[in-house]
Amino acid sequence: MDGTVLAHGLGGAKDLPIPVDMAVAGAVAALVISFSVLALAWRTPRYDASRGGLPLTVPPAATALSWVLRALGMAFFLYVAMAAVLGEDTLVNPVFGSFYVLLWVGIVPASLLFGPFFKAVSPARTLAMLVAKLTGAPADRGLLPYPERLGYWPAALTLFAFVWMELVFPHATQLGPVRLWFALYLGTMLIGSAVYGTTFLARADPFEVYSTLVGRLSVWGRRDGRLVVRSPLANLDATPVRPGLVAVVGVLLGSTAYDSFRESPTWLRVVQSLGIERAWPDTAALVVFTAGVTLVFAAATVATGVSDHQARRHLPDLFAHSVVPIIVGYMVAHYVNFFVEFGQRTLIDLSDPLTTGADYLGTGDWQINYWLSMHPTVLASTKVLAIVTGHVLGVVAAHDRAMKLLPRKHQLVGQLPLLFVMVGFTAGGLYLLFAS
Amino acid sequence: MPRRRLIAVAALTLTATLGLSACGGDDEPTTTPASPQGSAPTQSGEQSPDPGSGSEVEQSGTRIELTRTGDVFDPSGARVKVKRGEAVTLVIVSDTAGSLHVHSTPEQDVEYRQGTSTHEVVIDRPGVVEVESHDPDLVVLQLEVR
Ligand SMILES: [Cu+2]
Repeated sequence: MDGTVLAHGLGGAKDLPIPVDMAVAGAVAALVISFSVLALAWRTPRYDASRGGLPLTVPPAATALSWVLRALGMAFFLYVAMAAVLGEDTLVNPVFGSFYVLLWVGIVPASLLFGPFFKAVSPARTLAMLVAKLTGAPADRGLLPYPERLGYWPAALTLFAFVWMELVFPHATQLGPVRLWFALYLGTMLIGSAVYGTTFLARADPFEVYSTLVGRLSVWGRRDGRLVVRSPLANLDATPVRPGLVAVVGVLLGSTAYDSFRESPTWLRVVQSLGIERAWPDTAALVVFTAGVTLVFAAATVATGVSDHQARRHLPDLFAHSVVPIIVGYMVAHYVNFFVEFGQRTLIDLSDPLTTGADYLGTGDWQINYWLSMHPTVLASTKVLAIVTGHVLGVVAAHDRAMKLLPRKHQLVGQLPLLFVMVGFTAGGLYLLFAS
Repeated sequence: MPRRRLIAVAALTLTATLGLSACGGDDEPTTTPASPQGSAPTQSGEQSPDPGSGSEVEQSGTRIELTRTGDVFDPSGARVKVKRGEAVTLVIVSDTAGSLHVHSTPEQDVEYRQGTSTHEVVIDRPGVVEVESHDPDLVVLQLEVR
C-alpha cells in the first residue's frame, strides 16, 4: 500500500477542461486585440529603462529587514530539509508540496507582488553571501568574472532539469530523488558562486532567474541602483537582455504547455500503447515543447527587415521579455486551483512535518476550502482571462520593442510574424486547456 | 520580397498552430465503455466482498466495464463523463486480483478479485479524476466529473 501511494503526482482531481465557447471567445479576443494594438497603438517607443518611475527613499532599516528575510528563508528551508531527511516518505510529507507548489508555483504570485522575491530569501544566495563574508571576498565577484556570453543559458538548463523532474520523472514524489535533486542544485549553486560570485546565481539559479523575470511584472524596479515604482510594462521593458533569455522563456512556456498536454487522453493513449517506460516519450515531448516554443519564437523575431547596425541573431533575446506575461498567464491558468487547494494542504501538512501528530504551526486543524473546484465556471473564466491578459501584455511589450528596434519601413510588417506566433501560443494554450 | 515575407509568415503561423495543438484535433473523447452491451446482465449478483467497494449496485448512474488481461487494461486511459455525487459502477473482469486507485480527494481504492466483480465509487467534487492501476503503472480511466 505504501509502495503504491508513492508512485504518483501531487493533488487529487484535476481541473475540468474549459468549455469550448470560452476557449473560442478567448482566442478571438486575443486575435482582435492583437491587431488593434498593431493598428492603433503608439508609433514611437514608450518605455525607457533609463527614465521614468517614481524614486523611493529606502529607509535605513531596510538592510536589517533584508537579513530578517534571509533568516526567514533559511529557517523555512531548514524546516523543510528536516522533513526531507527525517520525515516519512509519503505524500503527506510537506516536502513535496513545499517544493512543487509553494516554491515553484508560489514564485509567480510572490514575484508579481514583491518583485525579485526569491533572490531576497534564497538559501543558496544566503549561503554564498555567508561564505563570501567568511573569506572576506566581495560576494558578487568570485575567482573569475562570469563569462557574459553564457548569459542565461545555465538557467535554461537548470530550469529544464526542474521541469523534467517535476513533470516527467516517474518518482518525482519520493523523498530520495527530491533530496538528490535539491542537493545537486545547491551544490552547483555553491560551487558556481564560489567561482563566479553571486552573479552566477542571477544567471543559473532556476528559481532566482524565474522569480526575477516574473518580478519584472511587478511595480518594483531599479534605475541607476535606486528603487523606483513604475508601471509593470515599463519595468518589463527594462529586463536585461542576455544570451539565452529566449531559451529561458521557451522552457518556462513550453513546459507549462506540456503539462496540459501530457494529461490529455490522446497522449495518454499514445504513451500507454507504446509498451515502454513512459518517461521516454514524455521526455521527448517535453523537449519538443520547450525547444519548439523557443525555436518558433526565435524564428518569428528574426523574420523581419532590420537596419544595418542591428544583428539579426540578437533579436530573439531582445524580444524574449515579451513572453514573460504570456508565461504568467499560462501559469495562472494551469495552476491557480492547484496552488490554492494543494497550497492549503501543504500548509496543513507543514504543521506536522515528521508525521508524529504534532501541530507546530497551529495549522494542523485547518480545513481545505474547495470553493474554486466547486465553481468550475468561475475557474474556467479565470483561466481564459489570465491567458488573454498575458497575451495582450505580451503583444504590447513586443510592439514597443519593435518600435525601438526595427527601422521605420519594417515596423508594421516586421511585427506580423511575431504577432502570429503569439496568437498561436495563446490559441494553443486555450486549446490545451479545452482538450486536456 | 513581400511575397516571400508572406510565405514566411504563413509557414510560421502554421508551425505555431500545429506545434501547439499537437494534441490531435478530434478528441472530445466520447468513449463511453459504459454501454451495457452483452456481458453485463448476470453479474450484478456477484458483488465484490471487499470492504472498500460499495455493495449496492445502482443502475441509474454510469456503468463502466473494465477488462484486465495480464497487464493489459481495456479501456486504457479513456475519458468518461460522470455526474458528481452519483454512483459510478465499475464492472471489472480480470484474470488476476489487483487494485485500482481513484484519485479523488480523498483518494479511494478499489480492490478487485479474479473473475468478475462490481464496485461503486462516488465522487462529490467536479474535476477530472484518474483511475489508476499501480501494478502495472497505467491510467485506466479519466472520470470527468461535472
Ligand atoms: Cu494512484
